[in-house]
Amino acid sequence: MLTKLTGGTLYDPANAIEGKVRDIYIRDGRIVSTPPASEPVHRSYALDGKIVMAGAIDLHTHIGGGKVNIARTMLPEDHREHVRRSTTLTRSGSGHATPSTLAAGYRYAEMGYTSCFEPAILPVNARQAHMEMADTPMIDTGGYAMLGNDDLLLEMIAEGAEQETINDYVAWTLHATQCIGIKVVNPGGINAFKFNARELDVDDLHPHYRISPRKILRTLSLALNNLGVPHPLHVHASNLGVPGNFHSTLSTMDAAEGLPIHLTHVQFHSYGAEGDRKFSSSAAEIAEAVNRHPNISIDVGQIMFGQTVTVSGDTMRQYANHGHAHPNKWTCMDIECDAGCGVVPFRYRDKNFVNALQWAIGLELFLMIDDPWRVFLTTDHPNGAPFTSYPHLIRLLMDRSFRNDLLSQINPDAAASSHLSTLDRVYSLYEIAIMTRAAPARILGLTDRGHLAPGAIADIAVYHQADNPERMFQQPMLVFKQGEVVVEEGRITRPINGTTQVVRPDYDPGIEKRLGDWFEQYHSIKLQNFRISDDEMAAGIGSAVTIHPCRGRN
Amino acid sequence: MWHNKIGNITNAVTCPGCGLSCDDLQLEVSDGQLVSLEKGCTLARSFFDTALTPHDHNPMIDGSRTSLDDAIAQSAELLRKAHAPLFAGLVTDVNGMRGTLEVADHCGAILDHCNGDGLFRNIRVLQDNGWFATTFTEVRNRADLMIVVGNQCFDRFPRLIERVLNPEHSLFSSASERKLILLGPWDNGSLPTDIEAMACTVIPVEHRQLSDAAGVLRGLVSGRPVNMQAFGDKTGDQLVELATQLKTAKYSVIAWSATELDFPHAELTIQCLVDLIKDLNLTTRSAALPLAGTLADVTSNQVCTWQLGYPLRTRLQRSYPEHDPLINRYQTLIAQKETDLLMWISSLSPQVVPPVTDSPTIVLGHPGMTFENDPDVYIPVGVPGVDHPGHWYRSDAVCPMPLGRLRESDLPAVSQIMMLLNNKLLQATGE
Repeated sequence: MLTKLTGGTLYDPANAIEGKVRDIYIRDGRIVSTPPASEPVHRSYALDGKIVMAGAIDLHTHIGGGKVNIARTMLPEDHREHVRRSTTLTRSGSGHATPSTLAAGYRYAEMGYTSCFEPAILPVNARQAHMEMADTPMIDTGGYAMLGNDDLLLEMIAEGAEQETINDYVAWTLHATQCIGIKVVNPGGINAFKFNARELDVDDLHPHYRISPRKILRTLSLALNNLGVPHPLHVHASNLGVPGNFHSTLSTMDAAEGLPIHLTHVQFHSYGAEGDRKFSSSAAEIAEAVNRHPNISIDVGQIMFGQTVTVSGDTMRQYANHGHAHPNKWTCMDIECDAGCGVVPFRYRDKNFVNALQWAIGLELFLMIDDPWRVFLTTDHPNGAPFTSYPHLIRLLMDRSFRNDLLSQINPDAAASSHLSTLDRVYSLYEIAIMTRAAPARILGLTDRGHLAPGAIADIAVYHQADNPERMFQQPMLVFKQGEVVVEEGRITRPINGTTQVVRPDYDPGIEKRLGDWFEQYHSIKLQNFRISDDEMAAGIGSAVTIHPCRGRN
Repeated sequence: MWHNKIGNITNAVTCPGCGLSCDDLQLEVSDGQLVSLEKGCTLARSFFDTALTPHDHNPMIDGSRTSLDDAIAQSAELLRKAHAPLFAGLVTDVNGMRGTLEVADHCGAILDHCNGDGLFRNIRVLQDNGWFATTFTEVRNRADLMIVVGNQCFDRFPRLIERVLNPEHSLFSSASERKLILLGPWDNGSLPTDIEAMACTVIPVEHRQLSDAAGVLRGLVSGRPVNMQAFGDKTGDQLVELATQLKTAKYSVIAWSATELDFPHAELTIQCLVDLIKDLNLTTRSAALPLAGTLADVTSNQVCTWQLGYPLRTRLQRSYPEHDPLINRYQTLIAQKETDLLMWISSLSPQVVPPVTDSPTIVLGHPGMTFENDPDVYIPVGVPGVDHPGHWYRSDAVCPMPLGRLRESDLPAVSQIMMLLNNKLLQATGE
């Protein structure tokens, strides 16, 4: 069957198309080149005057896994205030900061998102993360497995294991957990907290293993590079939220030694310790460093004012921040010599100096980092704000007077100590399309999405033109998933389920001998039961895998 | 391992006999019968023996044998007529619970687990307060001081000592450093034999005194004045010493089974323990090990929480989820006649039978189940991990364990029954 989208105005940065009127043809769920005129078109959509982009991709959103379910459990008040009724097509759900899985999938699709990635999968909890994402309809999903706080890796590095052995372990982990990337969270720090260390800066030595976070970062980024995994090491740096932590962030960039790394929710890592309150913006220093290092990409983790909940693998920093919990309750967990998690509810207030400055710092980063291909639009859902605030965030980037209006309402001392009022830059639609489509696809190694050229999956979002970008991005006119209309005027018309995106770098299966012995002696789960098979993904967990290519081992 | 393929001898089998969920069992099954079982405890043996005993697989309507089609049609008819259906028991695997929630959403059902009382003693603390918890592998490798609260944990979780508290190998805590404290209504004659290998101290405290004990320990740990009058001199001295041990331990762990703590407001006792742990973390490391998961209470609660946004004890009558941990207790709903249909799901144990009710009752049950009063519909279902593969959660709510399939069976999984029911209900409404 041939489908034609006629007359839409395309923003397709991967193919350098900026606001050009082009027709799109779809067959068997993929975009195809213009067919011969003799071929009948079975369905066509007149999109004159409409904005057409590839489906949006969120590369960092906590939508599945144990810590999200703990947060749901802890926030009945959030769920009571935000319910979603069942319809003849869709299931019921609840929650704003931590929506139920079905509600999250529907809402993402209603905003034109077609692929989302859970950034913090504990290997031992991977089954749950995939089960939750399988129950998140409408979107394709994927995840990054957490390494760098597991006792096994730290022991290997401390013993001076060959890089090749570590590469095998990293590759094995990607296979066993059905993930597309590797993330390190507070390198070594979550583990050090289990030994009662309360801080671990980039060049501090771990209290037991006597290795530094710098060494862990370097080892893991080299492993991914050697294995040819497209997504560089996804790094949640040391000292999240600590005033003056921009030094750690700069050291983290330095630790990569030129290898590609992705620094996540950098807003939380761009703090100085200047001024009367010993808290200041160092966004300029960070942006300047990002501009100078082409191997670095970042996502922002913008905060928005209001109630949310912070969920993180960073037990050390979540524990340290528990005094800020609002409402006053919090949970932390040490997990299986693998990592941990912390859940701390949070309310960001615009009249609070620190919160207001956090808001400004996020925007400063967006506006001071030059290359939109290396900065991604995230709120670190739900840590900075729920993902539903993306349209509002896009407006802040595209509309300077709107931004300045809001700036005038926040804590005046924070506004005065920020550069924000002097930043004239506004994002164009083309740049928004880069940071929400083309660039995330590229950095994840997904050649089949994030663009509109023949061969791409026909994941497409069509928007009404509007002066207010917030309104425009809140409610697309149409969303296509694999060539089928699934959303019309912001409402689900066809519920569907996606697949799980994975990579499969080669490795020497001999590594299982060492892993098996370790599991046998120290773990409470056997290696055979730890690994998730493709059959299990498809028939048991309920989301088949889509394998994306690696570059090949070097 | 999750597998659909059947082999006669199977290694690394996960046992759904209790929330420990040991996954090192070796089973030999031939012609659908258990030939041998290694490494399993008494609960494991009883679970696999019962599941692998031949039973009648026929569905029943009012006690008479019938076809699956007719049983489904009759169930759908009953569900259609019901205004306030209650789906309870909920002893099933992840996919069984997924199917149950889909039908529940469609019918506007209320959901509770047969062990809801025990489950919610913990959940309410998590909802109101949060906690600092840990998992089995951490305890194996790090814990140097372990307090086991109550006196039933070793019966409820028979391999707790071998698998968690005193393993053969440990990364950071040697057997000589490990101390075990039993804080509960113990008399010395009844200690489990495998405790003998450990340095063990009994502090005899009645269940209802546990919150006082936790409060006293909190006070002692933080150097506040405490009133020890509730305890005798000897117990008081022991608590003083325990407080010192907690402060100096590198990684202490407090374990309890909320199901055991069956007295009014036991959730406040758990909160006391949790607050003690939170206080200890100001200077050293300490964590809770809430033991749960038996009869899939953690499993069905986890799936419910991610799909609806709330734990169990949630109702869908108004076409969206509404949660209340007290109002939606199944025993109360039945006693107060606030439900007009009971669907009882119990696929792991024939002992977990439906409660007595005047309302029409549909049972999706273990094939070995027998009834004093025949339910309106009884559909024998496959046992997860025996008749079909699946997933279930062990105690910590972090590790969903894969369940394999051990024999050929014509018993449908709960998930299959739910799919058939849902299709039937959709047909009837013309959707």
